[in-house]
Amino acid sequence: MSNLNNQLVVTEREELARCIRVLLANPLLTKQDAPKDFDTARRRHEALRSWFDYYCGWTLTVMPRAGYARLHKSRGDVDASRPARRLRSGRAPFDRRRYALLCVVAAELLATPTTTIGMLAERVRHSTGNDPVVPTFDTSVRSERMAYVDVLRLLESYTVLVTVDGSTENFVETELAQVLYRVDSTLLMRLLSTVTGPSRIADAETDYTDPDELIGKISTDPRYGTTAEHSSRNQRNLWARHSVLRRLFDDPVVYWEDLTEQQRGYAGSQAGRQLIRKAAEEAGFVLEERAEGVLLVDREQIATDSTFPDDSGNAKIAALRLLDELNAHPEGVTTQRLHEATAEMLAREPRWAKSYRSEDGTSRLVDDALRILADFDLVVRYEDRVVPRPAAARYRLDGVKVSSPSEGTHD
Amino acid sequence: MQPLRVPSEMFRFTTGDRSELYSAILHAFGEANERLETALGIDEVRDRLRSVGWFDALSDEDLHAALKQLGDWGLLDNVQNHAENYRTAAEYERRNLQYSLTKLGEAAFAGVQHAMTTLASSGALQTAVLDAIADRLGELNELLRDTAAADRRIFSSLQELEGHLEALRNNTKQFNGELQRLLRAEGVDLTTFHEVKSATVAYLQEFCDQLEQRCHAIASGITEVEEQGVAELHRRALRGAELPPGAGDERRTEWLGHRATRWQGLRIWFHPEDDSAPRAEQLLSVARQAIVTLLQVLERIDDSRKRSSSVASDFRELARWFTRAPDEADLHRMFAAAFGLGSARHAQLIHEDPEVIAPSTPWAEAPAVGVSATLRTGGRKESFARTGRVRDVAELKRQRAERARAERAQLEAAWQRLATDGRARLSDFAELDHTVFQRLLELLGRALAAGRDESGARRASTPDGRAEIELRDPDNRGETTLRTPHGMFTGPDFAVDIRIVGRDLEEPAREAS
Repeated sequence: MSNLNNQLVVTEREELARCIRVLLANPLLTKQDAPKDFDTARRRHEALRSWFDYYCGWTLTVMPRAGYARLHKSRGDVDASRPARRLRSGRAPFDRRRYALLCVVAAELLATPTTTIGMLAERVRHSTGNDPVVPTFDTSVRSERMAYVDVLRLLESYTVLVTVDGSTENFVETELAQVLYRVDSTLLMRLLSTVTGPSRIADAETDYTDPDELIGKISTDPRYGTTAEHSSRNQRNLWARHSVLRRLFDDPVVYWEDLTEQQRGYAGSQAGRQLIRKAAEEAGFVLEERAEGVLLVDREQIATDSTFPDDSGNAKIAALRLLDELNAHPEGVTTQRLHEATAEMLAREPRWAKSYRSEDGTSRLVDDALRILADFDLVVRYEDRVVPRPAAARYRLDGVKVSSPSEGTHD
Repeated sequence: MQPLRVPSEMFRFTTGDRSELYSAILHAFGEANERLETALGIDEVRDRLRSVGWFDALSDEDLHAALKQLGDWGLLDNVQNHAENYRTAAEYERRNLQYSLTKLGEAAFAGVQHAMTTLASSGALQTAVLDAIADRLGELNELLRDTAAADRRIFSSLQELEGHLEALRNNTKQFNGELQRLLRAEGVDLTTFHEVKSATVAYLQEFCDQLEQRCHAIASGITEVEEQGVAELHRRALRGAELPPGAGDERRTEWLGHRATRWQGLRIWFHPEDDSAPRAEQLLSVARQAIVTLLQVLERIDDSRKRSSSVASDFRELARWFTRAPDEADLHRMFAAAFGLGSARHAQLIHEDPEVIAPSTPWAEAPAVGVSATLRTGGRKESFARTGRVRDVAELKRQRAERARAERAQLEAAWQRLATDGRARLSDFAELDHTVFQRLLELLGRALAAGRDESGARRASTPDGRAEIELRDPDNRGETTLRTPHGMFTGPDFAVDIRIVGRDLEEPAREAS
């Protein structure tokens, strides 16, 4: 009997750990994309909800019938490495126009439960035409239609839009394409994760335009007190816990030097450290604690949008090679030197990295490789030099494992 | 039920670009009919057009053409008028033609009029109508009992009854339609919506109140009349109807048929023959349902409007922010902050045995995670050792065993260093390795904690029994100092005898060291 109970407890722990990581990677988990994980989330809803609420202060909403779970991630200290992406080969990040259209389209979709691509375009045209800031949408221009279609496809991937008839892609070729959509307006409202609505900030007297200030305003949570002076000790502790853990669970590395004094104090305290260890363990991560900071390792690669080191793609291989260069010079390396190293690499392996063989191939490869390293918070890029961060040393050369012949069979 | 077959072209005049003129002409004829003027000449048509509000310029040709067109559609007839005295040929040309509405024309115009009134009227739930129906039924009962009563009165009462029933049906139908439209309403601003809502709910409640008693009164009225014979009622009504002599038997049968249908209609509403629920009760449940739905819908609309309107303006505001953001990185950060849809990002490789590295170690001094060397040689796709994913347990065990052995060997060496093979003094050790010193200290502590035996010596051993110590007081030899790499130890110069047992266990340790 107790044996069975143990089994159940173990299963529950494993499911919870996996599901936490799945949700960290997919804050909008749909039944359509991951039926099994969604089912787990539905069954473990209560445990998951309280876990995220306690450790990160994030709200989790599970809608069993509508078929989605939404983890409302909100952070004040966001980075630029996780843009919305065009769902095409190349997965280019959204540009200014696409982001703006995404918001206008979302606003227009709230009005109707069903619509067609043409009617929606008309509404967007009308709305942008009356807007003092956003340029008017013009469906006669192909690039505009392309942007519009990218936005709609993104919303389809979020299951906010369901195509009843037709194909969104056709609109690129002709404005006359007929596509009928069903709109999930509840989910549409849940796309926003802001604590304070942007429109309420706009109502205020001052006209903010500084993005940092705006981001700060929409992520300000009254739970933690309004200002440093007007918050109780409990509120400040809660803020320290949530803000440190949000970083820890969302970002590849947390360096002590990047934290505020208060956050450092919390993470360094015995209670804080214990909580971090407990949270990491419950979520199925391995916590790596070092003198300069901490990081979480997900050996199953569930809670991540990208992997490093990895041989998927030339840029990642180049990134690892450049990292050797950087690890050899902890004080930093000039961009020039990295260019040379990359050029050598390309010259040495003439059959490798075919897409980087054009005119500016080398600098593109350097750029892509450095972006990967920066995304994993292993380097800091300055104008003309790149400086490795402490965690870069994890991947240094002296840890080379010489593959034994038997190792290939493990896959 | 016969399907409706509307004569083709009956309503053709309402479409096309001249429809307004056609409607005005028909309207003019309709007005004339009211005054019992059935035929109109072209001049009279022109006059009448003004009276019905058509003031546009209109040439004679156009008017002629319009009248002719209406004639072609079978809505107007033209008749030659020879009863006038014409003075000139032109006048004759102008005035000998007269037009009048055909039956089809009358019907078409009536249809349009009816449509316009329906459009303008609003449905209602009138309890008064229910009372009137009950009254008429009572009246009919009285009249039927009184064989001397005039058939005409029976006829007129029956007419009124049917009229009221018709009104009830139409009104209810219309009201229900409006109600459903109200429930679906979009784009009404919230305040009016609230007023309409509360007013409608009150209205419905008032109607539902007493509805059952009224229906019951009507049902019993129906029963009473039926006891006296509906057929009889209808026969007498027919006599009172005074149909024109031109109408044959066929017409009479038809008339009676109509009455029977209407009576059936009344029964369906209030007292159906089979056991189905009377329609009035359905009306009641519709009304009740409407109250509930209305309240729910309003709550929902209220809620979603409040939220969605603010969410919509949030989205619009964000669109402006994106448009104004200084550079690309700001766009992505803004997206991350507003939507929070990005994925987490974490490392996947880890040192094989992370537990052995102290948290205070800097990254640069901790072992690297062991990236396969093949990864660094670009071009060759080769899977690297997934140390992160599959832990090679056998290898790990070997390593741990290795470490354990190394530790054991160290310990062993320490003991060997301490073994005195007989009595010795602490001062004999003079200089000690730190680990060895720790062992010594441990033994001394244990010995000092133990009580003296009869010979005055203290004995103790390590928990695993590997080492034993016999300790005697220093006999005034004073203090001694031991040096270790970590510092000096000063204490009484005890006489110690340390014995190590089980030396044959050292074999593996020897290998390891």
